[in-house]
Amino acid sequence: MISFHNLEVRYGATVALSGLNLSLEEGIIGLLGPNGSGKSTLIKTLMGLLKPYRGSGSVLGTPLEDDASFSLRSSIGYMPEYDALIEDVSAYEQVAFWGELSGLNREQARDRSHEVLFFAGIDEARYRNVSGYSTGMRQRVKLAQAIVHSPKLVFLDEPTNGLDPMGRRKMLELVKKVRDELGASVILASHLLEDVDRVSDQLLILDKGEVKAHGSMSSLRQVLSRCFELRFLEPLTPEQEARIAEIGTLRDNMNGMYDVELKEADAGIPFKWAESIGVVLVQVTPRHDRLDEILIRAISRPLN
Amino acid sequence: MPIYAPTLPPRPSIKPDKSPILVMARFDIVRIFRLKMGRFFGYVYFCVLLVKLVIIYVNYLLNTNPQLGQLKNFADQVMPQPAIFQASLLDSSMLFFLWLQVALVNGALISRDTLYRIRPLVYSHPVSQKDYLSSKALIAFGIPFCVQLPFILLPWLISILVAGSSGPVWVTAPLLLIPAAILNSTIMGSITLGASSLAGSPKASLGWIIGLLLMSSALGGILSGVFENFAWMAISPIALTESWSKILCGVEKTAIPFLPTAIATGIHVCLWLYIAKRRTLPSEAVI
Repeated sequence: MISFHNLEVRYGATVALSGLNLSLEEGIIGLLGPNGSGKSTLIKTLMGLLKPYRGSGSVLGTPLEDDASFSLRSSIGYMPEYDALIEDVSAYEQVAFWGELSGLNREQARDRSHEVLFFAGIDEARYRNVSGYSTGMRQRVKLAQAIVHSPKLVFLDEPTNGLDPMGRRKMLELVKKVRDELGASVILASHLLEDVDRVSDQLLILDKGEVKAHGSMSSLRQVLSRCFELRFLEPLTPEQEARIAEIGTLRDNMNGMYDVELKEADAGIPFKWAESIGVVLVQVTPRHDRLDEILIRAISRPLN
Repeated sequence: MPIYAPTLPPRPSIKPDKSPILVMARFDIVRIFRLKMGRFFGYVYFCVLLVKLVIIYVNYLLNTNPQLGQLKNFADQVMPQPAIFQASLLDSSMLFFLWLQVALVNGALISRDTLYRIRPLVYSHPVSQKDYLSSKALIAFGIPFCVQLPFILLPWLISILVAGSSGPVWVTAPLLLIPAAILNSTIMGSITLGASSLAGSPKASLGWIIGLLLMSSALGGILSGVFENFAWMAISPIALTESWSKILCGVEKTAIPFLPTAIATGIHVCLWLYIAKRRTLPSEAVI
C-alpha cells in the first residue's frame, strides 16, 4: 500500500525525514514518535504536499515524485488534529462541500454527507452550525469529512483528542469500522498509546526523521518478550537485589512485585536463579509489553 | 426525512465534473450572503445610487422645463458638468464604503481559513494552490466589480431613457467606466487578498487593510507636499481607485497623471498577489 525507498524530505537545509526504507501493508497503522520526530512531515509527504528531496516512494501505487500524486488526493482522507471546522456552517453543508471538493458531484456529495454523518453518530444535529457542537461531535464531523468520498487511505491525526472515555471508545469503534466496512487503510497518529494499542494492526515509530521500528504489533512485542513480573515470598534484601545482574536487570514496580528483564528469553531462568540465592519465588508472570515500553526502547535503540 | 442505516452504503463513483475553483467560490459566496453586514452596505449603496439618479432627473427637468430657467442658472453653478458627473459615478463617497466593505468581506477570505486552519484540509483534497487562490480572487475581484456595476449602468440607462443621448451622462459611460471598475476591483481585490493572507484572523486582516490604506494615504500626502507633486499620491490605493474613473472620463486635471497611476496600480497588484501566493503555499500548510 505504501512503500519508501531511501526517501529523504527536507525543509530547506533541514532534513526532516532521512533514508526511509519501509513497506506498509493494508490495515490500521499506528504512527508514533515524539514531537518533532517527522510524523507530520510524513503525512504531508504522503498527501503529496511535500515532494521528496531524494529517493522514491509510492502510495496506493502512485509514485510520490510525479504530479500524479495530486490526483491521489481524491483517494485519501485526512482528519486533522485541530479544529479544522468552518464554524458558521452546518455539519451537513461542510461535509457535502468537502465531498464535492474530492470529486463527488453535488447530488452524490449531499447524499453522502447525510450517510457519513449518520454513520459517525451525528443525527439531527447535522443541520446545526458546528459552532454549537461539543468536542466529541466535532471530532466525529472531522472523521465524517475524511471519509465522505470513501477514500482508500485515511490519515487520522489524534482522533480521540479531548474525548471522554465513552467518546474515545466510540471513536475507536468508528476507526475499526472504517477499516472493516469501508475497506480503507488507516494511518493513526496519536499520543494516546492505549488507543493505538487497541486498534492498530501495524506500528510505525519515527524519531528524528528516521524509522525506529515498524511491523505488526505482535512481531514488535516478540522482540521485547524477555520481561517477567516476579513475586517473592519476602521482599529481597539489597544484597539479593544486587545479584540479579547475573540474569538481567531488576526494577521494583512498587506493587509488591519486581519487573525483570532477562538477558535471554527463558522463563526457567528466574526459578534457577531464585534457588541459587536461596529465596522463595512464588509467581512468575510473562509480562505483556506495553506500547510505551516499545516506544521508549525503539527510540533509544532501533529494533529492526 | 430519510432514515439511514448505521453502516455506510457502497463507495460512490468519483468523476470530477466541476472545477474546484467554482466549488470553493460558491461555498464562500453562500457564507458571505449570510453575513448581516451585507444589509448595511446594501442600504448605503442604495442611498448613494438614489442620489445620483435624482441628480440625473433634476438635470433633465432643468434642461427641459423653461419655468425652471432661473433655477437652472443657479444649478449650473452648483451641480457638476457632464464629464465630471460621469466620473463622479464612481466617486470617493461610494468608493469609501466599497473599501470598507472589501476590507470586511475580502479581508476574511484567506484569514478565516488561517484562523480555523482550513487550508491544510483544502490541500488534502485534489486542489492546487492555483485553484485555491483563483477561487478567492474570483470573489475578491468580483464583489467590488458587481457593486460598481449598477452605479455605472443604472444612471446610464436612466439618462438614455429620460434625456436621450444629449443627457447629462454621456452615452459612452459603460465603455469608459467599466474599465475603471475593473481596474478598481483589481486594486481592491489584490490588496485585500494579500493583506488577508498576512493576517491570522478576519479582525487582524481588517486592521492590516485599514492600516495600509491610512498609512499609504498619509505617506502619499506627505511626499506630495514635500516634493510639490501630486503624483506621489499614487502610493495610496484609495487615491488610485479615485483616479481611474477621472482619467478614463478625461477629467485629468483633478486626478493623478496616467503614468504614475498605471505604474502604481501594477506595483500594488503584483506585490499583493505575490504576497498572497507566498503565504498560501501547500508545503507550508501546518498540519
